[in-house]
Amino acid sequence: MKLTSALLLALALTLWSLPGHADTAAGEAAFTANDCTACHYTDGPAKEKTIDDQLAKKGPELWYAGSKFQREWLEAWLQDPAPIRQMKFNSVTEFNAGDHPKLAAGDAANMADYLMSLTSDAVEAGVVKPKKNAKGRLIFTKKMPCSGCHQYEGRKKKLVGGRSGPSLVGAGMRLNPDWIYAYLLKPEIFKPVKAMPVFIGLLSEKDMKNVASYVANFK
Amino acid sequence: MMMKFTILAAFVFSFALATGSSGQAQEIEVEKVFKFYCAQCHGVSGKGDGPNVTEDFPVSPRNFTNAAEMNKLTNADIKNVVMDGGPSMSKSPMMPPWSKTLSEAEVDALIGHLRVLCNCKGKEG
Ligand code: HEC
Ligand code: HEC
Ligand code: HEC
Repeated sequence: MKLTSALLLALALTLWSLPGHADTAAGEAAFTANDCTACHYTDGPAKEKTIDDQLAKKGPELWYAGSKFQREWLEAWLQDPAPIRQMKFNSVTEFNAGDHPKLAAGDAANMADYLMSLTSDAVEAGVVKPKKNAKGRLIFTKKMPCSGCHQYEGRKKKLVGGRSGPSLVGAGMRLNPDWIYAYLLKPEIFKPVKAMPVFIGLLSEKDMKNVASYVANFK
Repeated sequence: MMMKFTILAAFVFSFALATGSSGQAQEIEVEKVFKFYCAQCHGVSGKGDGPNVTEDFPVSPRNFTNAAEMNKLTNADIKNVVMDGGPSMSKSPMMPPWSKTLSEAEVDALIGHLRVLCNCKGKEG
């Protein structure tokens, strides 16, 4: 009797987990089949140690994609990949040609399942709430040079700001608020080598949360 | 005995020289460092025309090829502003602080590079 119910439970669990699992596996297979691996690596931890390592990459690393992105945005973007970085990846002279490979809806859903399964335990959940955070705004636009390198929506919906960093327009739809904070707090985990300054010790943890909350509020 | 010692000393000395120089060349390739961190605002050739300088960029990043302007700064001034950012020298916060990103040796190498770009020695001090 005990054995039967244990078996039944096991069966139920398997059936329940199968569809999700199948999509993740299909997504992983499609990732390789579509040659996404030519430009993106999916196995962490971060591999970059020098500027050369960073410059040798043809696209951003995706090993923590599930902690970084919001699933809905990801699935839509894979089908209609509008430029995120205004400059060509790793270039300070050429612009982004907007030629990222496009996926059909079914592939994009599987791929999003797969990418969302790639997470990092360095991101603590439930810490940052998106808000029109006044302190965060002051840091982003005045006290620190964030706006010098990142595009965002200024007054009257005018797009302002720099071009060397990824555009943060729509960051509230694209990025996980807790990841933004973790990215500022633990750059050595996500980006050991990057053209953005390290702000540890220059911004308090509280202010990192404030600015993350402000950025996570970008529509 | 003496002979042996001299040979050993010469050997140790040349070894130190070799590792010293090759180590340094590998450690800091200053043009690469400049292009990666500074060119996004100051431009690849240092003219203050990097891709971040759009029409609404609040203040022009220093043109490093302008000898007259660069001569107003001592090397120590440059080190301050690169390490601690614009506000440390009463300049715009759009000039970022790099103290947590770059090593002191990298900043020293960058100062040398800026002096090559301006072809100037800077203010004494
Ligand atoms: C030729 C190289 C190349 C290939 C092949 C490629 N990508 Fe990309 N990918 C890039 C670059 C470059 C970017 C940055 C695009 C931007 O900022 O607009 C990017 C961005 C992304 C992003 C957003 C990452 C971020 O941090 O902003 C995702 C997700 C992604 N790619 C998934 C895929 C998938 C899935 C495939 C396979 C169908 C794929 N890529 C194939 C180069 C590539
Ligand atoms: C000197 C230019 C520069 C400054 C200043 C700067 N950033 Fe960045 N930022 C970058 C670059 C370049 C990247 C992309 C790094 C990479 O992927 O290699 C980036 C990445 C990011 C990301 C991740 C975006 C993504 O889609 O991957 C966030 C969030 C961010 N920056 C927020 C900030 C905040 C907040 C500040 C101010 C406290 C700031 N940045 C200051 C250049 C800058
Ligand atoms: C986000 C854009 C940005 C980046 C990246 C940047 N700078 Fe600047 N820098 C500026 C701006 C803007 C000024 C002018 C500030 C002012 O005049 O108020 C400036 C000024 C300077 C000055 C002159 C300061 C003075 O007192 O006149 C030096 C020296 C300098 N930068 C060095 C560097 C070096 C070296 C790097 C790379 C490690 C770098 N900058 C990266 C924006 C930037």
